[in-house]
Amino acid sequence: MFIKPSILMVIIACTGTVFSSTTQAEVAVIVNSANAAAISDSDLSRLFLGKLKQFSSGNKAIPVNQKFGSNVRKEFEQKVLKKSSRQVKAYWSKRLFSGKGKPPKELSSDQDIISQVASDKNAIGYVDASKVDDSVKILRKF
Amino acid sequence: MKIKSNIFAMGSCLLLSSISNIATAEVNLNGFASIVAGVTTASDEQLYGYDDNIDFKNDSLFALQASSDLENGLGVTAQIISRGNNDWDPKFEWAYVSYDANDNLRFLAGRQRAPFYMYSDFLDVSYAYPWITPPNGVYNLLFDSFDGLGMLYTSTLGEFDATTHVIYGKNNTEITLLGETIKPDFKDLTGLSISLNRDWLTLRGAYFQADMTMPFEFLQPLKDGWAQAGFADISNDVVAEGDKATFVELGLQIDYNNYLLNAEYTKLKLDHTAFGDQKSYYVMLGKRINEFLVHITYGKDDDSKSDFTQSVPFGVAPSLDFLKATTQQIIASQKADEKYIIAGVRWDFHDSAALKFEYTSFNNKLIDNDANLFRVALVTVF
Repeated sequence: MFIKPSILMVIIACTGTVFSSTTQAEVAVIVNSANAAAISDSDLSRLFLGKLKQFSSGNKAIPVNQKFGSNVRKEFEQKVLKKSSRQVKAYWSKRLFSGKGKPPKELSSDQDIISQVASDKNAIGYVDASKVDDSVKILRKF
Repeated sequence: MKIKSNIFAMGSCLLLSSISNIATAEVNLNGFASIVAGVTTASDEQLYGYDDNIDFKNDSLFALQASSDLENGLGVTAQIISRGNNDWDPKFEWAYVSYDANDNLRFLAGRQRAPFYMYSDFLDVSYAYPWITPPNGVYNLLFDSFDGLGMLYTSTLGEFDATTHVIYGKNNTEITLLGETIKPDFKDLTGLSISLNRDWLTLRGAYFQADMTMPFEFLQPLKDGWAQAGFADISNDVVAEGDKATFVELGLQIDYNNYLLNAEYTKLKLDHTAFGDQKSYYVMLGKRINEFLVHITYGKDDDSKSDFTQSVPFGVAPSLDFLKATTQQIIASQKADEKYIIAGVRWDFHDSAALKFEYTSFNNKLIDNDANLFRVALVTVF
């Protein structure tokens, strides 16, 4: 109300100029081959936001994350969590500093996540769809 | 983001080999900080502790949180905050032991945050919300943390994730208010908050009550005066001694397609005391544009106290007239009719830090006083 219009113009002009372009790659959500659980899109999002801690089978679910800033993570956050990387970061800082939970463990590559999921019945992860091999089960692609 | 230290060494020093499996617990250290500079726009303006000399201490803070998961659902968390307005003296804001009975039920014991408001859980973590600090009009209870017990229960209600937080405890932290440093006593602090969240929508409600004692010396002569004059009820109503305080909060958050709407309403009642009842609300609209968040907030505070000396007429005796006049002055001083507008921009220029610019225009209608405050903040989590 009391901001000068000229300041607002500058703010809008600045914010309008920054557009990001990311290359679109398909993201595959993967679980252990022994995991027969079904999972809805919204439960998938809740799992990676720490709101859901079990698969539909009742088994404990341990999500593993890609590294902050990686393209596949940005893609996943945008398509599945429907949030930008920074919104996700702010979300986890709320959970962390309110003692309500810690973000999923981060692994540094698609390969690390595939091996983790292949060896842990409870793990769920996501990787670049072109990197998946048959040591894990693809739950869904985005 | 995370520093891990293995405290196994410490455990073995203590030669407690039998419980060394406990002593190997990993400690996670995280932190957050706000560096805030602020200045009012004219020499006769003061707001939230700022004046027309630029200040760097008022809202600046630095915090460390240490937490450790022990075996079998047990965990410990401590949060230490150094605040500029407290000469950077570090204080334990939180220090509690938690026990996860299962994935949905957690018990907390120790010093912890009372879930009074929508942003209580991360009140000091400016990185987690749009403003530099949440609107002062609503966020102004005398304390934010308490010592006692808490229970957190998460469940699903239809399509909603529900969080219920129940607490019981007390707070008796020394405060400086109305020119006196006192040790108040808020005991039997009891209440709960319920929060419902689904995708872009969060709804929240809370109710708390406490048995409140605030031993202000300046009220003592009035209390004694009314008692000697034979008005026991008024004597009791002047002071806060074991009086019931109640607090209600309602909150709404919408975060849809990069449009934000946040609103919160609070009502504080301090019956049978000379302290004002407070009704406050704010509404914030925001728009996220890439790394920027532009927001505007309108807020209002309405404080009042009904005149509990009404039954005593003027002109009976000079001593009574004096008591009544003095008491009415105090009652009048509790009234407030305030509005404010906050316009701000948050710029997420870095993965773990944001820069915030905020302009607050404040109006106190009762004394026809305006104040304008400009603040800049660098906020971070690490």
